[in-house]
Amino acid sequence: MKGLTDAELIAAVLDGDSESFAGLVRRYQDTCTRFAVRMLGSHADADDVLQTAFMRAFRGLRGCQDRDRFGGWLYQIVVNECRTFASRQRRRDLRFIADGEAIDRAVSGSPEVELDAGVADRIQLALGMLPPDQREAFLLKYVEEMSYEEISGITGVGVSALKMRVKRACDGLRDLLEGVYHD
Amino acid sequence: MIESQSDSRDSDDAAFLESVARPLRSPEFLAESFEARLMEQIRREGSPIHPVIATPPETSWWRTERVVRLSPLTGLAVAAGLAGIIALSAIVGGTRNGTSSDVAGIASSSGAVRSDTVHVVRFVFVDPAASTVEIVGDFNAWTKGVTNLERGPAPGVWTASIALPAGRHEYAFIINGSRWIADPLAPKSSDDFGVESAVIHVGLTQQSAS
Repeated sequence: MKGLTDAELIAAVLDGDSESFAGLVRRYQDTCTRFAVRMLGSHADADDVLQTAFMRAFRGLRGCQDRDRFGGWLYQIVVNECRTFASRQRRRDLRFIADGEAIDRAVSGSPEVELDAGVADRIQLALGMLPPDQREAFLLKYVEEMSYEEISGITGVGVSALKMRVKRACDGLRDLLEGVYHD
Repeated sequence: MIESQSDSRDSDDAAFLESVARPLRSPEFLAESFEARLMEQIRREGSPIHPVIATPPETSWWRTERVVRLSPLTGLAVAAGLAGIIALSAIVGGTRNGTSSDVAGIASSSGAVRSDTVHVVRFVFVDPAASTVEIVGDFNAWTKGVTNLERGPAPGVWTASIALPAGRHEYAFIINGSRWIADPLAPKSSDDFGVESAVIHVGLTQQSAS
């Protein structure tokens, strides 16, 4: 299964071999997981969202017109699922916080771990305080290291608007993280 | 001198962004059971579903919703192209004349929820100036280029009939490949990005949907 291209795996699934979908899951799960965890701030929420996203991808696999670009198509679904999930979670008081284990480490871990976790958690908390559209644009640009054209293709947002979102995200992070890197 | 200050600022920005992004690039992992749970659900479903697009009828098309109730066996036959569709229609209220920016609405179907029911819902959009009209929603994974509306018999009218399972669905029209419009005649849902989508409850009464 490892040697097969995305298009070959998709063809196998559509031919009735549902097990071949596992090959696509393994290929893209890590990238999607990182984005979803950073976007939602919770491994449990990311798990829920990615289960839904992969199921939507499976159900709509015939709609993937360019099978060699399955990854980009899947990313569109994941981004949209994260948006939908975030809107459902609007009423949560504590919408974005690193997972419980990370908090525990930061609060009660060894000094070395606490130092590392402290910086990482502050970055993640700052990220979570950004408006979702800015957070999404920043993650795709600087964490997933996509071009603006790629991001535009995934999000449906124009390049100039994306640049503005990323700039505002950077300004916001600089304000929120003031002192973290200069103490 | 100005150039050099600008270069220095850009360099500072790049260094700052890299220091922020680097820890965020570290891998994240879900529970080991993730793939097993997903594949179990996929095995239960069997094979990918492709939306069944009903052929629009020649008459009585204006702002109607076609509800087709099929038994599971018949549903499979339709999917295989072996059976016809028996349709009954209900005129949907709340119409208005189309102008260049008008959007014609749809409405939810009526009747009790039945998991074995396929509802073919007609979406109508009016925009004489549009070159292309497509619909995106949770039913096509919000994917552009999958579900296009076709020109109707009247000028500026675009229609698509889509088979939807019972339940709540969100959707929006995309005009000329880029302009996003939530159906103004349908209830709205807004996400954290302030992007509005329309909501339709298929096979549910408004009361049971809320």
